Amino acid sequence: MKQFSKILKFELKGYFKNKVFIGITLFLVVLIAVGTFIPSLISMIKPDGSDSTPGTDPTTPTADKTMLILSKDESITSVVKEYFTAAFPSYNVRIFDTGVDELKEEVMSGNADCGFVIDSSTSFTYYVNNLSLYDTNAASAGALMQEVYRINEMIKNGLTPEEAAEIMSVSITSNTETLGKNQITNFIYTYVMILALYTVILMYGQMVATNVATEKSSRAMELLVTSADPVSMMFGKVVSSCLAGLMQLTAIFGSAIIFYNINKASFEGNQILDSIFNIPPQLLVFMLVFFILGFLIYAFLYGAIGSMASKLEDINTLVLPVTFLFLIAFFIVIFSMGSSNVDNILMKVASYVPFTSPMAMFTRIAMGSVAWYEIMISIIILIGSVIGVGILCAKIYRAGVLLYGNSPKFSSVVKALLKKS
Amino acid sequence: MLLEFKNISKSFGEKEVLKNVSFTVESGKAFGLLGRNGAGKTTSIRILMNVFAQNEGEILLDGKPIDYKKTLIGYLPEERGLYPKKIILEQLVYFAELKGMSYKDAVASVDYWLDRLGMTEYRNKRLDTLSKGNQQKIQLITALAHDPDIVILDEPFSGLDPVNAMLLKDVVRETIEKDKIVLFSSHQMSYIEEFCDSIAIINKGKVALFGDLKEIKRTYPRDKLVVSTTETQRLKDEYSDKCSDLPDGSLLLKLEGGESKKGVMSELVEKFDIDEIKVYEPSLNDIFVEYAGDGV
Repeated sequence: MKQFSKILKFELKGYFKNKVFIGITLFLVVLIAVGTFIPSLISMIKPDGSDSTPGTDPTTPTADKTMLILSKDESITSVVKEYFTAAFPSYNVRIFDTGVDELKEEVMSGNADCGFVIDSSTSFTYYVNNLSLYDTNAASAGALMQEVYRINEMIKNGLTPEEAAEIMSVSITSNTETLGKNQITNFIYTYVMILALYTVILMYGQMVATNVATEKSSRAMELLVTSADPVSMMFGKVVSSCLAGLMQLTAIFGSAIIFYNINKASFEGNQILDSIFNIPPQLLVFMLVFFILGFLIYAFLYGAIGSMASKLEDINTLVLPVTFLFLIAFFIVIFSMGSSNVDNILMKVASYVPFTSPMAMFTRIAMGSVAWYEIMISIIILIGSVIGVGILCAKIYRAGVLLYGNSPKFSSVVKALLKKS
Repeated sequence: MLLEFKNISKSFGEKEVLKNVSFTVESGKAFGLLGRNGAGKTTSIRILMNVFAQNEGEILLDGKPIDYKKTLIGYLPEERGLYPKKIILEQLVYFAELKGMSYKDAVASVDYWLDRLGMTEYRNKRLDTLSKGNQQKIQLITALAHDPDIVILDEPFSGLDPVNAMLLKDVVRETIEKDKIVLFSSHQMSYIEEFCDSIAIINKGKVALFGDLKEIKRTYPRDKLVVSTTETQRLKDEYSDKCSDLPDGSLLLKLEGGESKKGVMSELVEKFDIDEIKVYEPSLNDIFVEYAGDGV
């Protein structure tokens, strides 16, 4: 225990003296600060911005782009122009009656940005030079033409244009009351948390593996292994990395919360941020529990792997199996979240399997419905596995650190382990 | 204190690395553990330090199985290595603390040793800013700072310049005088000869030779003569099959089974113009080559 605390202290100090570690943390904090302060700063720079409220911006378009309309049915030309002008405020909509080939020519040469050739009230062709991924003009035009057609038909059937317009523009008021969990808002913060878990575990796992492999390749191991017992060694390293990770996350999320609250006024009405910064407290507790346990179980595996590497370069290939295991857990969760059924059979199983449960059970708590005893069972299994995996990995570590050679074989480590016990 | 290796055997898988190894090491005397590469020296050392468990046999300290909680061991590994990027004081204190020292004692002891080895100026420097020889001295501190009962020095002199080697020799002598158990492992026979009172030679996992160095030398067959003569060529022609050159120009003559020293000596004096004849004193090197070589 005494050795464990010494190792913990030494390793933790190592993190705080690591320039990369400190640099990344500071960089992220600064990034968050910049991101959260920018809207407030902008409104401070423009103190007379009272008349340029966000709502008025889209209605004062520059209209620097040109859209050509060629309608073969002259009876609808004026209606179409009226509708298109209203629907495409960023375009300068012009009637073009020279001919289809000339219209194509105009678009190709760049004189016009796009053009519509309306064959009849139910058919048109959209001409554009390079079709952008986000170009929705054709779809919008389709909806417009549908409306034009409907209004025309209604007028033909004896309604006044006003009556027809009223029918078309009727609005329905609706209200949603969530009795269970709101997956829309939950989705965002669950996603953020799963992503944080994913990033932190992968990053720190790699750090633990590298740390062990560095000791091995620098031969500091020769001395360490004769100075401290492997269980203290392994737990000291892994727990210190977990603490370092937690502190880093606290620094990042803590500063985010502080900065957000300072600038709260600028973010009013932003659903995503509202969701992230209004996580229910009990969920944060579960997050913490599953984060720590999930972190530990993977960090142990990464540590054991580090001990099997002879050279630092070996690590990248050696960690692949663990990384895959972790990716599988991640994708099960992400796909289940995407399908909006987080309580499916796969997730139910995954929420008890120690390597997948940190993410799976957490997601189910956040977005699905789980009984408290299910959560307890999952946590107990996970705690037991963490201790078991920790001790096993400490043994692998001890067997692994003294094996030098070109290709560290997993089988030889297992053999060494079996021999020992 | 008396450290005993008693019938230690150790296998890794099918490979038997140590076979029934026994020897004893007394405190206040230096002991040399010799052997060729791969003979089993490092494995013996690791068993002594409880890194590996032996398959058979036991290690006794003053007749009782060694208690690793109470017995402190200092180790200078052959494969040197510490944390290259960390501050020297920090890592030395860390290792001393791992061995059970309090922080305060560890700092005091590390400072004493830094001063003793003339390294105080590097106290707050990173290890990788030091030369190889100086890194060696830092490594030596990890073996001594926690005031161990047993000191294991694996190739302590390799890579040191003559001045530093001298310094290390003094430190080793002091350690021996403090009644510690000092266990050397080296391929540099001259150092072993200088320091060690007793040796064990391990060959292919077995103890090929163990005992007091002076006693070993005394009982070593004295069956070679060193002959200085003005008629080197004639003597060589006559004794071609058992005669070889020595670096200083004299000849080494090996006596056959039944020949008496006296008889051969008088025969030589009669036949040749002899300057000097003496019995060849075996060096540790000769003994090592004979016992650790494949001839055994």
